[in-house]
Amino acid sequence: MPSEVTEGKIARFSRSLTRLEEAASYAKSRYQTDVYQEANRLLETEEGLEVLYQYAHRLDDAGVFQDGPWEDASKLQAPLVAGSLQAKGLPYVIEMLSDLRMLAIAEGKMNHPKVSQEMAMDFLNEVMALNLDLLFPDASEASRIEKKENTVEAQRLFRFISQYLSSSALSETLIYEIERLTAQRPITVKRTVSMIRMAKEMLKTETSGTQAEVLEQYIASIEGPSQLSSDHSLPNDYRKQLMALSTEELRKESEALGISMRKTGLCSPQHSVLARFLSRKSPHLLPVLLQLTSKGKANLEEHAELVHQLIKVALFPSTCQSVYGLALLLERGVLSASPVMPGLRRLIELDIRPEVRSALFKTVGEGEGLTANSILLAGVISVLGQPLGVGQGLNPTCQAARGISLWAQHAPGYLLEIIPRAARDGDIDMVFEGVQIHSKDLHGGLAPDLHPELDPVSLVLVPHLDRIYSEMMSRVALRGEDGHRWVNPAFYGDWVQKGFSTVIEPITGSVTDYPGFVRLFYATHHPEYNDDYELIYPNPVGIFITNVHGKMLGFHAVSIQRIAKSPDGEYRVYFYNPNNDGSQNWGQGIESTVMDHGELPGESSLPFDEFTSRLYAFHYNPYEQGDAYAVEAENVSNVKSMALDSWGQEYTWISK
Amino acid sequence: MELDQLEMNQTLQESQPEGRTIPYLTALIGWSLPAIEACDKLNRPFVVVGPPDFKEYAEKHDITFVGWEFDRLNEGSDKLYKQLKALGAEVAVPLYEECVEWAGALNSRFREEPRLFNRSLLLRDKGMMKRKAQMAGIKVGVFEEARDKEDVKRFLKRVNDALLKVDGDKYEPIHCKPLDKAGSVGHRAIDNPADIEALTDTDFPLLMESHLDGQEFSCEVFVHNGKIQFLNITEYVKLGYSNFVPPSPSLEARRPIIRKAIEQLIEAFEIENGVIHPEYFVMPDGTLHFGEVAARVPGGHIFDLIERAYGFSAYEAQILCSDPNTTEEELRKFFPGEDEAQGYAGCLMVHPHVNFIEELNIPEELENHDFFEKHDMFTPPQGKVAERVGFGNHYGTIFFFGDDSAEITRLLVDYEKYDFYL
Repeated sequence: MPSEVTEGKIARFSRSLTRLEEAASYAKSRYQTDVYQEANRLLETEEGLEVLYQYAHRLDDAGVFQDGPWEDASKLQAPLVAGSLQAKGLPYVIEMLSDLRMLAIAEGKMNHPKVSQEMAMDFLNEVMALNLDLLFPDASEASRIEKKENTVEAQRLFRFISQYLSSSALSETLIYEIERLTAQRPITVKRTVSMIRMAKEMLKTETSGTQAEVLEQYIASIEGPSQLSSDHSLPNDYRKQLMALSTEELRKESEALGISMRKTGLCSPQHSVLARFLSRKSPHLLPVLLQLTSKGKANLEEHAELVHQLIKVALFPSTCQSVYGLALLLERGVLSASPVMPGLRRLIELDIRPEVRSALFKTVGEGEGLTANSILLAGVISVLGQPLGVGQGLNPTCQAARGISLWAQHAPGYLLEIIPRAARDGDIDMVFEGVQIHSKDLHGGLAPDLHPELDPVSLVLVPHLDRIYSEMMSRVALRGEDGHRWVNPAFYGDWVQKGFSTVIEPITGSVTDYPGFVRLFYATHHPEYNDDYELIYPNPVGIFITNVHGKMLGFHAVSIQRIAKSPDGEYRVYFYNPNNDGSQNWGQGIESTVMDHGELPGESSLPFDEFTSRLYAFHYNPYEQGDAYAVEAENVSNVKSMALDSWGQEYTWISK
Repeated sequence: MELDQLEMNQTLQESQPEGRTIPYLTALIGWSLPAIEACDKLNRPFVVVGPPDFKEYAEKHDITFVGWEFDRLNEGSDKLYKQLKALGAEVAVPLYEECVEWAGALNSRFREEPRLFNRSLLLRDKGMMKRKAQMAGIKVGVFEEARDKEDVKRFLKRVNDALLKVDGDKYEPIHCKPLDKAGSVGHRAIDNPADIEALTDTDFPLLMESHLDGQEFSCEVFVHNGKIQFLNITEYVKLGYSNFVPPSPSLEARRPIIRKAIEQLIEAFEIENGVIHPEYFVMPDGTLHFGEVAARVPGGHIFDLIERAYGFSAYEAQILCSDPNTTEEELRKFFPGEDEAQGYAGCLMVHPHVNFIEELNIPEELENHDFFEKHDMFTPPQGKVAERVGFGNHYGTIFFFGDDSAEITRLLVDYEKYDFYL
């Protein structure tokens, strides 16, 4: 099947490129197709990339990318490369050529007015870091099972590019990506783990000092952070080894595993084995493994019996991440809330419905001998320990994820009430304006086919919550006002404030009095204008999601967690973003960060004004308003111009 | 006398101070990149009149552009004329079917010849066109305009009565098509009274014709001041799917008769400048039946094939011929002899045989054939196949070039059945 490069093919490509070069700028599209066709013929061959790369410095000026999505090299995004390469037909060819162009820039073979050599190199490094599964094939099970389009060609491309990249820059990017992911402390760590596995593949071929050390630490955190756990990675094997340890050795082992877990938020199967072992044989060492503070220790002591029970029922090699969840749960003191203990105990013996059971089983490997209750309980431990680690996965269910996160923070008893309802009864009911709404009576919702890559609690709850939220929204759809005003307090609970303001006038769909909206948000949320009222409960707000070019993509639900000064003294909004990756680029230089700006694990943050510019609706306490008039006009107009030039393009503006 | 006037014009132009060879603009009616390119290559200043959607693109590439909705009947043609006149336009070149009467209207104003507009309307009403041809003694099939389903039923019956069909015989089909659409858009063959029920009110009025047998071909005739400057004959292998230029020797042998027929057509329709694209059927006995005629760029990539076979740009030819001021000398220099084709250029328009495309399948034998030039097919990212309108939206085209018309025909016939899309 792989054809060969022939002189004829090269000549034809060269001719087609020359014709395109000679064409007037308006007529490029007439000649682009031939270039793509001939390039494609070369790409089918082994040496085609080498040949095409000889021409790569001419592609941009010739107009190969003109008038299409790849036109402006400075606007390209590394995360989109893989998708284009896997698309059928044209996008794949153009992406290949575009990456060769980027390589030509990086190698100094051509100058680009907007992309410097360093920028091109960074871009390629990021592409490589994000696509290590293609650079090191067979490393991931997923890539083996899901056969994708153009895999061979894409692998060829990455191998080709990697010859030109320095391995240290590549591992640096990779380290940064892993750091960024782990900083958010997500409950589901599949992506992090697969990146670390890639790093391991990479280390097989090259090693470079400090970076290798850092990567090795990450690898150890999921494969065994201590000598013993790393030498004996099979759980059974490891367990036997533990029995032979002296108390002091056991303490050291616990400490090694505990420190690693606290540092990365990642657990190895050995963590669960050790937790079970300690729980039975040396409970006094549990605080060492969990690296508890005095508060955590006090909690453990107070609820020792229940904790031992939880460990016994829920912590297994395939649910090992919940060891970390347990540590944080104890730190948070969740067990002291009176409904939590009976709520957790109920889950152990809960009669789980067959369809829920099978959904839960799918989250772990086969042959583990786990019960669905164990999986669910492990999930609950994680959610209660890491409320900001809840993610919506690949589902459009931001509202449901936000609810789970909010209840895990402030109403664990309620959460433990609805989980059994859903898992046992297949129903959740809520009262909305005096009417009882049962999820079992509803169809549809935003995600009728839920993507299953979710934590166990979300798997159980989201289908119900999603339908109820949709039902509430459709009940108020015709009221001529944004329905979130009524739905959010009813859905999330009474800690959502009753005051509500929105940018869009729902009947006309236009923007009215934007400056007023901005001032009200400042006056109710910004510490300098709101009379120092602190945000007590997360505030569910609606934002416009925009892409890197500031173009509006749609609406999204996040929760403001707190507003505070960052370490370098600027006011930032710290918020919970149900997307699994909270660091995002929204255009106009607005990039939400997940670390280094004072974020707690799981929080995203933005400067106050930048966040405001993407806001479309928020709740506030009408009795806690500060001085709207005091907000500087300059701040307001700055926010407005960011809004106008991004999502504002899609709306008619009536306000001044 | 006309020549005298021409020379007068020439001297007038040369005395103008701008120092450009042709100081007036050519107005391209319709958005067509190859036509824009052709005008550019001829060094003729131009303005494009096209759908407003193209404004942004035109501005980006510094193309003088006037946005215009051709579909909307309006009284604004005067406004368009004044706008173009102010820009200095004096010639309008129609590129698409819907643009023909607009170009006619503009040219009649530019040259102050009101009848130019009426002549262009003749080309836009297939009923009027056929009647005119018939009155001029050109052989056409039996035709009628229909206003409703009853008319169609009656026509189908009468045609088949005339063919002496009795009850139980299979009917000969009649053809129905909109009066003013390009080529085969909206065309349907009806051989069963039940098919008539499928017509809707929006299909009327329409033109009905009896079925013509025989080999179909088209001509692309470049006419200047009423004279044929170049006659291209395109042989249809399968209407709407494949054709090639110049025709095979057996059809080429009929060129003298064909030329005569064209001359008759030009006279009847009083065509002076531009390109016409008539379609004919050759009966087994050698007589020609006239199908229809258009005055625009033909479909089926025919202009590309002409360029490949004869080496001149048909778009440039059209622009040159559309301008009455072009000199005989220029034209003689431009056109090669009609017998000077460098080979046969053919193309196959591919339409998927499936409703959902999984992948593209281009056979090695095709790519390796000496006659294979290129194709423009990629696997579409979105697999659902669109419904076909006329012969317009084919998914891709394969181009051939070679010295043997029989081999070209074989390739076009064979690959027409090939499943390029799976």
